[in-house]
Amino acid sequence: MSDEHTEREASLANLPGLLAFVEAACRRARGDEEACFAFKLATEEACVNIITHGYAENGRGPIRLSFRKVDGRGVLSINDRGRAFAPEEAAEPDLDAGWQERPLGGLGWHLIREMVDEVSYRSASGDGNTLTLIKRLRQTPDG
Amino acid sequence: MEISDEIRGDIVIASVRGSIDALTAPALTDHFNGHLSAGRVAMVADLEGGDYISSAGLRALLGALKEARQRGGDLRLAAVQPPVRRVLDLSGFTSILRIYEQVDEAVASFTP
Repeated sequence: MSDEHTEREASLANLPGLLAFVEAACRRARGDEEACFAFKLATEEACVNIITHGYAENGRGPIRLSFRKVDGRGVLSINDRGRAFAPEEAAEPDLDAGWQERPLGGLGWHLIREMVDEVSYRSASGDGNTLTLIKRLRQTPDG
Repeated sequence: MEISDEIRGDIVIASVRGSIDALTAPALTDHFNGHLSAGRVAMVADLEGGDYISSAGLRALLGALKEARQRGGDLRLAAVQPPVRRVLDLSGFTSILRIYEQVDEAVASFTP
């Protein structure tokens, strides 16, 4: 299967289209329910971060998604031209805190890391920021 | 996302269908806030028809839970489907939220 791409302006109104692209590409690659749910959720979290933080200072810009299948794994790249943000700097949420102490928010990067098998992030001046998410497309060998 | 309400005595049951995401979560927050403002602080979210939740949806649930508990009530969940349950587990929400298999069990849990 060749790479599939889409590019949209970074706005919440375009979020359903971006998520539908990822879900459909995952299914075409024969991803199972768990894999396609995971890619959809990780895509929402990453795109919302780009829309609300990455482009917060310089207005809107594009989000480009690329999906390909490599050795039974889905490889999703999410590229933007906004402010760079290193995911490893995102604070780990305290999942044992009581309800009074829980902050509203701060779970986005945690969910991305939990949903997929591998996360990498690259920021290059000419190419913008690229978050790459990799996950096995079928969770059981015969599934 | 679609929300429909049923009121049983002092308890409101909000059935949420579809996707609780960054676009729809604010409407869910508004919905819960409407009940809280009207003094309906005992709330059950029936998630049998909820097939997706993101961190924005978690924020809506946690915000409503905090407001309800601060007013002497609670937000309890019922009929949570496996994909949504997994997100709740991974986010540590299953330790702070009361979750029931059936709506009736969640409603009964409010009766001392």
